[in-house]
Amino acid sequence: MKAGRAFPATPAVCSLTASIAGAWTSLWAERLREAWAELREQPGRTALQALGVTLGVASILGGFALSDSLRRQSERYQLRMGGMDLLHVYPQPVARSGPPSALQTANPGLRAGDAAAGAALDPQGVAGVSLSRMDGVQVRSPFALRRSQVTGIGADFIPMAGYALARGRGFAAAELEAGAPVAILGSGAAQRFFPGADPLGQVLDLGGRPVTVVGTFQARVFRFGKDQPNALGWQNRIIALPAAFVQRRLQADPHQRVDELSFRLPEPSRMVAFARDLATLLQARHRSQIDFRLDDVGARFRRQQRQGRVYDLVFLLSGVLAMLGAGIVNVNIHLASLRERVREVGLKLALGASAPEVFLGFMTEAMLLTLLGILAGLAGGLGFAWILTRCLGMPLFLRPGSFLWAGVMAFGFGFGFALVPAWKACRLSPMEALRYE
Amino acid sequence: MPLAIEARGIAKVYGTGGVAVRALDGVDLRVEAGEFLALIGPSGSGKSTLMAILGCLDRPSEGSYRLDGEAVEALPGRALARIRNTRIGFVFQAYNLLPRASVLRNVELPMLYRGTPRPERRRRALELLEQVGLADQADKLPGQLSGGQKQRVAIGRALANRPSILLADEPTGALDSHTGGEILALFQALNQEGHTVLLVTHDPGVAARARRQVELRDGRIARDTGPGPGP
Repeated sequence: MKAGRAFPATPAVCSLTASIAGAWTSLWAERLREAWAELREQPGRTALQALGVTLGVASILGGFALSDSLRRQSERYQLRMGGMDLLHVYPQPVARSGPPSALQTANPGLRAGDAAAGAALDPQGVAGVSLSRMDGVQVRSPFALRRSQVTGIGADFIPMAGYALARGRGFAAAELEAGAPVAILGSGAAQRFFPGADPLGQVLDLGGRPVTVVGTFQARVFRFGKDQPNALGWQNRIIALPAAFVQRRLQADPHQRVDELSFRLPEPSRMVAFARDLATLLQARHRSQIDFRLDDVGARFRRQQRQGRVYDLVFLLSGVLAMLGAGIVNVNIHLASLRERVREVGLKLALGASAPEVFLGFMTEAMLLTLLGILAGLAGGLGFAWILTRCLGMPLFLRPGSFLWAGVMAFGFGFGFALVPAWKACRLSPMEALRYE
Repeated sequence: MPLAIEARGIAKVYGTGGVAVRALDGVDLRVEAGEFLALIGPSGSGKSTLMAILGCLDRPSEGSYRLDGEAVEALPGRALARIRNTRIGFVFQAYNLLPRASVLRNVELPMLYRGTPRPERRRRALELLEQVGLADQADKLPGQLSGGQKQRVAIGRALANRPSILLADEPTGALDSHTGGEILALFQALNQEGHTVLLVTHDPGVAARARRQVELRDGRIARDTGPGPGP
């Protein structure tokens, strides 16, 4: 077998390659220099032409920035609410006509046992299980007496609902199991029932059942805008108790029914299969009744985000219209400019510039102008978005894709509209162009 | 001497049908390398049209044209551009300098289209400006020069890619007689160096500086003094 011969990279070949590359780079540098000189020569016209592109880009970017920032706020809210990787299960009434069937009567509904059974479906995937049970009771403290909602919670409720302890401690496993008379108060509840006092170690009376306050939660604050109310304010009013306490001591419920079950699955790819299996399991455990509703937080969020894309389209359309108008104006200005430069084109052709060279010269000028418009538009759009989000009191956020969209649209329009004058220029006959008056 | 230009039966027709105008009508012209030829004739005689065809700026409607032995009348646009760039140097009556480019850059222009690297381009342009006596004006804009200086820049530009043929269309038409004389002397010197010079003029005094005169009338050669003694 013959050995393959390698093509030797001789110094002559390398030198030739470097020379061609150098000439090519030099030609482009010259085109850019010439285009820049031409644009600088007519600053007013250049500014006018770039303005259309700038407005289009600024319109797209500004709109996208607003939309992106709102979306990011919504995402942050969801994360503060516990995260995107949660699957909630809620009880829902079963549709019925007439008296309940025997199966319906025998079905105890969504209950604590469903949590453990559900988690067992995917022990590797489920990273947390939470449950809650609500009740309304008369709450008395040394400082206040009022009817309030109390929340019985399960083991992973605190992290999964986005709470964090401020002082004291959480519930021990034994306390959760036994339904011990202990409570953790949200900052609002602590303020309401123990104004100006330390609630830790104090006793609250819940409908005649005393519970000891063992901890308090950090205050939860989230505002969608500067003047908006605290969207998490209601969570600060929580009076958290072991779920078993609410179910057994307050409600005397032998089935330990719950108002909400939550499963955390950090790996998104497992969520769909888990939700399907969980639905099947719950239906089997609930006497074939679909008396529950699943809520995949991540999927719901993505669905909402997709629906919000319509605003992006509106912003994109307004930008496109601005660019379309600018493009038509620019074509006319370029054509007028070409009429002023016909002899110059003729001279270049006479000196040896090929038609493609003339075409590229005009295109370079138009694209440099577009680039300037894009840069100004990006800066303007950012400024516009910054002012707008400042006024709305939310942090500015922009996806890299928004910059890309604005830039690509403007570049595409700039390119498309530059073709006509560049094509006309390169089609000129050198003789006719030189004689042009 | 080898032939620099060999045109046979060149005709140029503008318009069609009843409004067709024959600007050139069967011109035969043979120019040897190194000649200094003046193409003379009254306005409308077709001399500028012939120069445009000989300079590959335009195509003949009929006839054949060989430049340095190569048939060019049917070459594609890009090849013609290459020929204009490397083998022909143009000098125009109105100088046709780029007003916003420096003198140096104007001279560099043909080399730019040839793809000459920047350092070499710069060196050659300065050398040419030295040759036409304008080395100290390199950074000026054309608007800052006199008519004679502008025409010298144009001649320097025409020589940039070392063309074998120089085509000058009324190069002294916009100059006073003294400056015009200097420019013609420059052309004579270039011819002495071996360049083929083809000069279009309507001025018999200018034409007299050339060794051969070809007179056009109504698109036809009316008189040809024939090649004179070599440079």
